[in-house]
Amino acid sequence: MAVSPLVSPSASAIAHRKNDATGASVTAQKNEASPQFVQHAADREITEQMNDEVRHKYIKTKKLGEGTYAVVFLGHLRTDPSSFVAIKKIKVNTEYRDGLSMDAIREVKYLQELSHPNVIALHDVFSSKDQNLNLILEYLPRGDLEMLIKDSNIHYGVPDIKAWMGMLVRGVWFCHENFVLHRDIKPNNLLIASDGEVKLADFGLARSFADPYLNMTHQVITRWYRPPELLYGARQYSGVVDIWSTGMVFAELLLRVPFVAGNSDLDQVTKICEAFGTPTEENWPGVSKLPNYVPADRNHLMPTQGREFFLRQFPTAGPVGADLLMSMCTLDPRKRSTAYQALQHNWWTTEPRPTNKEDLPRKSGGTKKMGDDLTRRGGELDDDQFKNAARQLDFTAMRE
Amino acid sequence: MPPSRDAIVHRGDEDEVCPVCKSSRYLNPDMRFLINPECYHKMCESCVDRIFSSGPANCPVAGCHKTLRKNRFRKQTFEDINVEREVDIRRRVMTVLNRREEEFDSKLDWDNFLEQREEMIFNLVNGVDVGKTEADLQQYASENMRSIRTNQDLEAKEVSSFQERQNQEQELARIRRQAAREEKENERKEVMASREDLLSRLASGRPADAAAIAREGQKVLLKKSSARRSEEERIRLKQAALRGSDSKKPGQAAATAAEESGSGLIKGLKKIKSPEPEKPYDPFGGMVPNQRDYYTLRDHYPSPYLDPIRQDTRVLAGGYDLQEYYSRTLLEAFAGLGCFINEEVSKREASSLNAMKPVGTQGAAPAAGSSSQGSK
Repeated sequence: MAVSPLVSPSASAIAHRKNDATGASVTAQKNEASPQFVQHAADREITEQMNDEVRHKYIKTKKLGEGTYAVVFLGHLRTDPSSFVAIKKIKVNTEYRDGLSMDAIREVKYLQELSHPNVIALHDVFSSKDQNLNLILEYLPRGDLEMLIKDSNIHYGVPDIKAWMGMLVRGVWFCHENFVLHRDIKPNNLLIASDGEVKLADFGLARSFADPYLNMTHQVITRWYRPPELLYGARQYSGVVDIWSTGMVFAELLLRVPFVAGNSDLDQVTKICEAFGTPTEENWPGVSKLPNYVPADRNHLMPTQGREFFLRQFPTAGPVGADLLMSMCTLDPRKRSTAYQALQHNWWTTEPRPTNKEDLPRKSGGTKKMGDDLTRRGGELDDDQFKNAARQLDFTAMRE
Repeated sequence: MPPSRDAIVHRGDEDEVCPVCKSSRYLNPDMRFLINPECYHKMCESCVDRIFSSGPANCPVAGCHKTLRKNRFRKQTFEDINVEREVDIRRRVMTVLNRREEEFDSKLDWDNFLEQREEMIFNLVNGVDVGKTEADLQQYASENMRSIRTNQDLEAKEVSSFQERQNQEQELARIRRQAAREEKENERKEVMASREDLLSRLASGRPADAAAIAREGQKVLLKKSSARRSEEERIRLKQAALRGSDSKKPGQAAATAAEESGSGLIKGLKKIKSPEPEKPYDPFGGMVPNQRDYYTLRDHYPSPYLDPIRQDTRVLAGGYDLQEYYSRTLLEAFAGLGCFINEEVSKREASSLNAMKPVGTQGAAPAAGSSSQGSK
């Protein structure tokens, strides 16, 4: 599982670019004399040279999609026209005029560390002439899981769901094993490669596990996939926030509609309570101490749902599958399965065996979808209905 | 008017006699002759009923001691009994030796197979080495039951799809013909209409304009018909393209299971790889979880810095997991060990095409020591 600890040339170019963007004026002042500068200039030349080298390695061919945050192009290696890549050009953001947008930094920072079949590969990074950041990403032409879930012409069964979930949980497990929280798992961030492999994409909200006493923001993860502890405003949380999202994806794959789809944060809490039971001090010790905890109406307490509920709601999953889903959707994060525990579940080894990735259902038109997926900002919902309500992310907490 | 089939069969057969009961067609015009593929001796229907109704019996023809059954008797297709017999034999051999060209390594092997099949048929027809040939055939049939079955299925499928295509084509042709007829009719109507229009305009117009109006009318007609023609052309091309894409469909040879190779009868068959037995599904995708080379992770490390967290219900209720912190810090502490930058660099440079410049490696080496977070 070793990720190469070596810094790729492009990464150092990035480091330099960051430096360049924020400290441009400083270098300008240093310009006079100072023996340091001679070395600095040489250094600068090398990085620029390296940046150009990377830039010339690829050729942009056509635009796949454009969003508020980025433009995605199809490209290929100059030397080999059959080796496709997706080039994600991050727009210079009005909010972050002085540097790079948070999403871009996160994406580069974590993707270059992670190398796994179920995580989208970041091949290279370079900056183009107008100081735009370009990420060379793996080309995933077969769209995303959302597309397959929504298309009623596509039929899939438990073996297919098992295969997709297996790949998803493996990807999540790998991120967690390397101490990266994804924090935006949802079907349209799960892209599908040409061989059918599901890949975690969009690391725009990712971060590494926080040190003790350090606050993290609770305004992450697209609402429908957001776990109750984040809705209650917890500032210290762990990898199991991703597991909740994964469980929601699992439920959505089974039902083919989002399982708990609230149209506001409060509504989301209500829907979760209705679906899984009301969080109380009994089933979730300490829940009432969470900052945004809303005391539940005494008269409308829903009991915590047991195995029968999951079996009834998700008959296709079978008893073992329902058990796994239940362990992924436990209200109390301490009792929720970790990715590692989820992978140890015996659902994976019980019949039916997961479909081979090559034989999974597929749909054409994925290229456009990849373009759309990669240009979206983290935490956004696609649906027009929620267009304005969805995005209320503030990154103030993370700047601290 | 051509004579009907019955007439052909019966013509000149007035004196035809059943070799068994000696009754002739002259006396019994409805007489039908049947044969049995065991011995191909001809006899009339009433003889068959008489002799074989009560079960299998010997052939009544003198010197033939084959045991015949009534249900195998059938009408003769070919007049020449030898042709009839050869066709039967051929059919039987072909159903057993039904290899397809796709299954052979080369054209030569396929041709050899065809020749071998013909030879076997020849042997059986002409009674050369019948015992051995039959035995070979039998052995082959029992050894290759599965592939014979799949090839038969394939053939049946091909036949039915061919039929379907044929029907489709006929239907298309019918539609085309109809379209052409309508087209013609329309054209005729248009010509009439424009001619009438022209005449009425000529009638109402001034005599000086007559020539111009007539010329114009001619032009309109021409334009219309050429537009129609190009439209037709386009449709025809489209249909041709459709047919082309349809005809590519018919099935490839199915990958047959491997039971062959034991029978030495047919040479040059493609080696069929038996699919590897499926490995049990590994949820971890081949990675080994919790592999730690230099340390073991404990559940609890006493520390005045971390201990307050254990009491902080707010942190705990949010799901913060000290265990994750322990494992991360320990990993980071030990991550530099066991990383041999030089080896990794030389290995990568040897393998990867996009080798870095030496500047890059020099820059990377010191950086790697500190930035190995997230790697194992």
